[in-house]
Amino acid sequence: MIWLTWRQHRTQGLYTLLGLAALAAFIVPTGLAMRRDLDRLVGQRCATGGELCDRGMNEFIDTYSPLLHVAILLLAVPLLFGLFWGAPLVAREIEQGTHRMIWTQGISRRHWAWTKAGLLGGAVAVLAAGYGWGISWWYEPLQIRESRFTEVFFDVQGVVPVGYTLFAVALGLYAGTVLPKVMSAMAVTLPAYIAARLAVGMYARPRFMAPLNRSLAIDDHIEGMTGAWLMSTEVRQADGTRVTGGMMVCRPEGDGGLCAAAREMGLRPGAYNYQVYQPEGRFWTFQWIETGIFVAAAALLVWLAIRRVRRVA
Amino acid sequence: MRGHEMEHVLEADGLGKRYGARWALRDCTLRLPAGRVAALVGPNGSGKSTLLHLAVGLLRPDAGAVRVFGNTPYENTAALADIGFVAQDTPLYRDFTANDLVTMAGKVNRRWDATLARTRLAQAGIPPRIPVGKLSGGQRAQVALALALAKRPRLLLLDEPVASLDPVARREFLRTLMGGVAESGTTVLLSSHILADLEHSCDHLVVLSSGAVQLSGAVDDIVGEHRRLVGPRHHGEPIGGVAAVVRARHTDRQSTLLVRATGRVTDPSWTVHELTLEDLILAYLSDGVTEATHEAWGVAA
Repeated sequence: MIWLTWRQHRTQGLYTLLGLAALAAFIVPTGLAMRRDLDRLVGQRCATGGELCDRGMNEFIDTYSPLLHVAILLLAVPLLFGLFWGAPLVAREIEQGTHRMIWTQGISRRHWAWTKAGLLGGAVAVLAAGYGWGISWWYEPLQIRESRFTEVFFDVQGVVPVGYTLFAVALGLYAGTVLPKVMSAMAVTLPAYIAARLAVGMYARPRFMAPLNRSLAIDDHIEGMTGAWLMSTEVRQADGTRVTGGMMVCRPEGDGGLCAAAREMGLRPGAYNYQVYQPEGRFWTFQWIETGIFVAAAALLVWLAIRRVRRVA
Repeated sequence: MRGHEMEHVLEADGLGKRYGARWALRDCTLRLPAGRVAALVGPNGSGKSTLLHLAVGLLRPDAGAVRVFGNTPYENTAALADIGFVAQDTPLYRDFTANDLVTMAGKVNRRWDATLARTRLAQAGIPPRIPVGKLSGGQRAQVALALALAKRPRLLLLDEPVASLDPVARREFLRTLMGGVAESGTTVLLSSHILADLEHSCDHLVVLSSGAVQLSGAVDDIVGEHRRLVGPRHHGEPIGGVAAVVRARHTDRQSTLLVRATGRVTDPSWTVHELTLEDLILAYLSDGVTEATHEAWGVAA
């Protein structure tokens, strides 16, 4: 069975490695360049602080912010595994009728299915872990611009890619047992994966742990939060009523009063900025919770798929 | 296992399989004695594949039971070891070479004769290092057959193995098959709707139509006991020497009957004709087929 799995999937394994190598060919040089420039523009200058430090930081951000768009593209990587590893796994056998050949040899279907799911799942998990680690390394310098905890950037690094990838593959596998055509299985895997990711990302993840909040006086110097996930920011009156989203930053005028712009907005003395956030220290907790959810869902789907395999003829 | 049960390689009792509301096979009772080469005959959709899939354990029965060497084959790898199966269209991993397939079969079968597989593939002239997807249909069928025979099965099931082959490849395939099983005494059940080939190859017949067994037995017995009678318009009265009227076709004055005879038909008003196996099978299968749907087409019958 191990030989069969290797023989049957080595070609797609090779293509996957080529794809990941292409990704590495992009990530390694840009990652090294970012580190070099971060050290030159920010690291050395900001040791002493001052205007030179600010200028260097801006230059770094201007140069490398476009790379953040690349991170958005990387969201699709686990889905590709689901479409090209998961969906054809059983669907192609049934489409080409080869399930009737392999399931009538001397091994049980259950054995066949568990071996394949186990070996391919393991291989995919290792690839995804390497990929997640690589992206985490690459992203490190960009944190100066965008916290790694923020949506989208959280999703492409750390351990969550492993969870997403296993889930996508299991989803494709299950879809292939229900709709035994490769194209149909792919067509279902795509929207189902996106729906599951959105549901967890938008509704569940903000609630993994109760968020913290902080109130900040309206001032021209507001202490930033590095590495936190800022979930909402708003300007409030002294009594706590919301005035507007966003943050009011300006130099106070007079005796502890507000700046003109703030007064024009109708803010009264005592108004403040209010932020809801998940602190930086929770990053890995959130990573493991999210990974756990998707790994559990993947395990359930694999189990359902194998149950179905035993009924298909 | 009691001795008398072991004489039958394949036994089905009230076997049924349903897809949704439609019964693909219903109340199928069948005994296949050891050492026979049996043809499973029936039109498309008559349940041939379903019966074979039930026998090889790909499907689980919805009614009744099927046993192979006394075991139920569904999810039973011990039973699978004794069964060789060649599925319809002889599916193989198309990017594997024949050599790969031999290696594969060796890994997924406990009993496996690699030398036999290689010998047969060499005899059939199969190139070992070309992906089987690039071979001809006849060659692929030979590969599938070699893989099935090298399991050294006691029962070999073949689902329409020659349907998609040209006449030369078909004859070649059947020759290899008969040669292979003659040496080992393997029991064969082979489904087909190409009747001409069967007469030379098979000594047992199972006729399946509309999901039910119409006829089952040794070819010689079946041919020996059936007659075609032509005579005056028949209204169901008994005829001497006739056990049962299987099919009847009437004109105003004349009737043509397919009968099962117990001995000589003595009634002089009937002319007795012998039947070939093909005539006989067609007579059994023609039942119900002639009810053309003129009404459905909106034309006069």
